[in-house]
Amino acid sequence: MTQDNNAAARAELAAILDSLVSECALRTVALVTRDGSLVTSRGDVSYLDITALAALLGGMFSATREVAKLVGEKHFSILLQQGEKRHIHISLVTNDFMLALIFEDVGKIGMIRTVTRRIAGRVGELAAMDWTPSADEPASQEPAKRSSEFREYALDLIDRIFSP
Amino acid sequence: MVYVNIHNKLIELKIVYYGAGMSGKTTNLIQLHQGLREQHKGQMVSLATESESTIFFDFFPVELGQINGMSVRLRMYTVPGQDFYEASRRLVLEGADGVVFVIDSDPAREPANYASYEDLCKNLKACHSAIERIPVIFQYNKRDIPRALAVGSVEAKVGFTPLQVFEAVASRGEGVKQTAQAISRSVVERFAF
Repeated sequence: MTQDNNAAARAELAAILDSLVSECALRTVALVTRDGSLVTSRGDVSYLDITALAALLGGMFSATREVAKLVGEKHFSILLQQGEKRHIHISLVTNDFMLALIFEDVGKIGMIRTVTRRIAGRVGELAAMDWTPSADEPASQEPAKRSSEFREYALDLIDRIFSP
Repeated sequence: MVYVNIHNKLIELKIVYYGAGMSGKTTNLIQLHQGLREQHKGQMVSLATESESTIFFDFFPVELGQINGMSVRLRMYTVPGQDFYEASRRLVLEGADGVVFVIDSDPAREPANYASYEDLCKNLKACHSAIERIPVIFQYNKRDIPRALAVGSVEAKVGFTPLQVFEAVASRGEGVKQTAQAISRSVVERFAF
C-alpha cells in the first residue's frame, strides 16, 4: 500500500466512524481485533480505559464464539449489553474485527442496528487492509535496519523498566 | 502475534503466563503491576471467581515508550490454571508472542506441572503454533516451600529446554521482574517488521 492510499484509507475509516458516532448519538465507538487490540476509536474515550476495554472485548469475542459453536452456530454476529445508563452493542464486521458502540439512549438501538449493518462491509475491508507503514512512519527505512534499530531501543527500554 | 497498528502508531506484543492452577501466575502479574512505575502500566483487569481463581484471564499493558514515533506496548496475560478452563486457556494463548511457564515447586504439584506443560503444547498446536517456535521461559515459583522441586527436574521430565529458567517467590516479588524482563527481551529479539 502506498503512503497516499494508507492515509486515504485511514481518513475514510475515521470519517465512517465519526459519522456513526453522530448519526447514532454514540458516546464511543471502538474497532477491536479478535485478540483484543484496539485498531481505532472515535467519540469520547476520556471516561474509560480503552486498552482494558479492548482486551475484555477480545475475551468476550472469543468466549462468545465458543458458546456459539457449542449451540451449533458459527458465531453470534451481534451482542447487546444493556445497563442502567450506558449500553454496549458489539457486532462482528469480519471474522477478525468487531465494532463496539457505547451509547446512552436505548431508543437508538434500531438505528444502531441498521447503520452498523450498512457500514460493516466497508469497515471490514478497511480494517483488514494491510496497513503497511508508509514514508512518514518507521517502515520508510530498509526493513533490516529498521528492525535492528527498533530492537536496540526496545531492549534498552525493557532493561530500564524491569530492572529490579 | 505482533500487532502493528498504524492508526494509533502502536506496536503490541503479547506475553502469556501459563501453568497449573495455583502455581502463582496471577501473583506474578499482580507483583509486576505493583512494581512498575505509573507511567509504564495500564489498568489491571482480572476475571476471577469469588475464591480468586482466574476464570478467564488477568491482563495489563506495559507501556515501553516511543521508538521511531511508534508506541510500544507489551500485553501481559495469565491463563486460568484449573483443569476445567481448558477452552479459556486456548483462547488466551492465541496470538502469544512469548510464554512464561510458571512451575509450582511444591512436590505434591509435580503431576499438575507436567499436565499443564502437555496442555500448553496441545493448545499451542491448536493455535497453529508450537513450543519450539516461540520464546518460552520457565519460572520455578514458590522456592520458599520445604523440599521444593529441583530446578531442572521439569525440563528433564518433559524433554524441553526453555530459553531461560528463573527461580521465584512471586508472593514476595522475588524473581518476578527478572522473569518479565527476560521474556520481554526474548520476544523483542525475535521481532522484525
